[in-house]
Amino acid sequence: MTERDAKVELSVIIPVGKRCANVRELYDEYVSGLESVRLTREFIFVLDGPHAQVLAELEQLISEGTANVVVVCLSRSFGESTALMAGLERAAGELILTLPAYHQIDGRDVAKLLTPLESADVAIGWRWPRSGGFLERARRAVFHGMVAWVTGMRLHDLGCGARAMRRRVLEELSLYGDQHRLLAVLADRKGFRVTEVALRQSDRDRFEGVYRPREYAHLVLDVFTVFFLVRFTKKPLRFFGMIGASMCGAGVLVVLYLVFGRLVFNRSLADRPALLLSSLLVVLGLQLFALGLLAELIIFTQARHLKDYQAAEIIQYPENSARQLPHESRTAAIS
Amino acid sequence: MRPPIKLSVIVPFYNEQDSIGALHTAIVDAVAPLQIPFEMVFVDDGSKDQTLARAVELARKDHRIRVVQFRRNYGQTAAMAAGIEYARGEVLVTMDGDLQNDPADIEQFLRKIDAGYDVVVGWRHDRQDKLVSRKVPSVIANWLIGKVTGIPIKDNGCSLKAYRASVIKNIPLYSEMHRFIPAMASIAGTRIAEVKVRHHARRFGASKYGLSRIYKVLLDLMVIKTLTSFAARPLLWFAFLALPLFLIGTVALVYALTMSIVYHAATSLPIAGSGVIFLTSAFILFCSGALGELVYNLSGMREHDFARLTQRLDTRAAAAEIQAR
Repeated sequence: MTERDAKVELSVIIPVGKRCANVRELYDEYVSGLESVRLTREFIFVLDGPHAQVLAELEQLISEGTANVVVVCLSRSFGESTALMAGLERAAGELILTLPAYHQIDGRDVAKLLTPLESADVAIGWRWPRSGGFLERARRAVFHGMVAWVTGMRLHDLGCGARAMRRRVLEELSLYGDQHRLLAVLADRKGFRVTEVALRQSDRDRFEGVYRPREYAHLVLDVFTVFFLVRFTKKPLRFFGMIGASMCGAGVLVVLYLVFGRLVFNRSLADRPALLLSSLLVVLGLQLFALGLLAELIIFTQARHLKDYQAAEIIQYPENSARQLPHESRTAAIS
Repeated sequence: MRPPIKLSVIVPFYNEQDSIGALHTAIVDAVAPLQIPFEMVFVDDGSKDQTLARAVELARKDHRIRVVQFRRNYGQTAAMAAGIEYARGEVLVTMDGDLQNDPADIEQFLRKIDAGYDVVVGWRHDRQDKLVSRKVPSVIANWLIGKVTGIPIKDNGCSLKAYRASVIKNIPLYSEMHRFIPAMASIAGTRIAEVKVRHHARRFGASKYGLSRIYKVLLDLMVIKTLTSFAARPLLWFAFLALPLFLIGTVALVYALTMSIVYHAATSLPIAGSGVIFLTSAFILFCSGALGELVYNLSGMREHDFARLTQRLDTRAAAAEIQAR
């Protein structure tokens, strides 16, 4: 590590995806927003795929002598989660601030995200007051209502890209795929303290056009992912087994009904499609059940890498003022 | 240099501010006369009351206490697993934090471990709980668990248990396994003993870990069976599951074909169809088993690692070997 790295306290990671604004303008806005914060900082722009124009702008910024700006170029578009993790690898700060690459929030409010980190581990931005028509607001309400129903967490804006957190959070979560949207939920599962901070929405954060069915599919899949990850990661058979067993049970009931009809009322069995339906149900149920067992086998064989719990602290007196961090003592326990 | 710790008493607490002090006194009164170096590991499972503060207060006065603090409530299995992980004794004793177990029983657990058993399970033969809501379901569940796992333990729900640390620290414990620790430990071929323990009615607070739904227990049993008996041979297990489907499918298909070929009757579509469905399904199940083999093979988990935990050398052979040198 160079000397510059050693001094950085706050790393700002900006993943530049499909939607991006004039970086120069955005950078100036964020910098002025962070002026009140007395932390040495660095800016890490992660270009998720080729962005020739953005790259040129950033190179100009650097050549003008702006210190502490790092640009990471990914060869193709990997998605925001991967971009964040790539940024984290370059980040030197103990605090991580991720910001959207377009005018989503009012730059003047950025510093507000860092205040709650004194007591919390993660602070999630929340655009408020927020513009948007009736349909859009309804869509958001339904989505966040479903998330609240599954997780018990009342969140308002999972789509907001402005988040502040301690470095450890991002390191432990190790995001992939579309998990950046679920960061708050996943962090809460790991036992981190999560708060929401209301930020003013930028005047330029206007969504033009209509949401395509694909976006809705994304939302539904997000909720399903949360549902599965939150409830069943360690007990997959509870999930697959329940669906499988009810299908199989329904199939068996239909078969019994058919057999009963055949034996008692002498109703012909062979020319009834219900027989096909019931055997399909039985078979499908068993398949699901088998999938669940396979999933259990995977969990079992990987159990040593999965940890159910995070110990916040091991407290013991009087040894060496005795506040031990969990990862230190963990190595001791394994050896 | 202090002598190595012989005994760790592990207690998970969840909102037990009233009992933690009394339990600490009871443990010390029971264990101190045994004249062995011991420690207590108190795991605070994200309590919302003063449990953690009181545990830390106790730890300040009694240096044999180690407090593990969770960031939030993770459940009893996780608390037990954390206690096992952070304990440093040779023998680990786990017990409930609600004073229903009696620390005076620890001595007989230790004697059993010294006699060569790896896991000692408590049996609340004189249980102080409600008959219908707790005792009857428990008798049925224990009978079923014994049948399925092949380990006839009369009381799986008793938290008071003792383990040889070298064995239990290498057994994977996760999700809601705390009910099945003896069964899970059996994958390492552990020698299991059972001792009668005293059981007191609850003095403080309400019971937190209530009766769970039946389907959960049944599914968990299926999991335990799969893991303990067939983890290392998944293809066999899935082939066993596929067998009935295969038989039904074959019979249906043969019947439909005979009817049409031998008797020249019209082929019965539903029967031939369901025969085909059952046969393909049996085939897919079989392939799932092959996938299971792949999973196990790549996982790096091997049975002999478990076998090594409990193996013993024949003393005469070992002695002869030493002499030969």
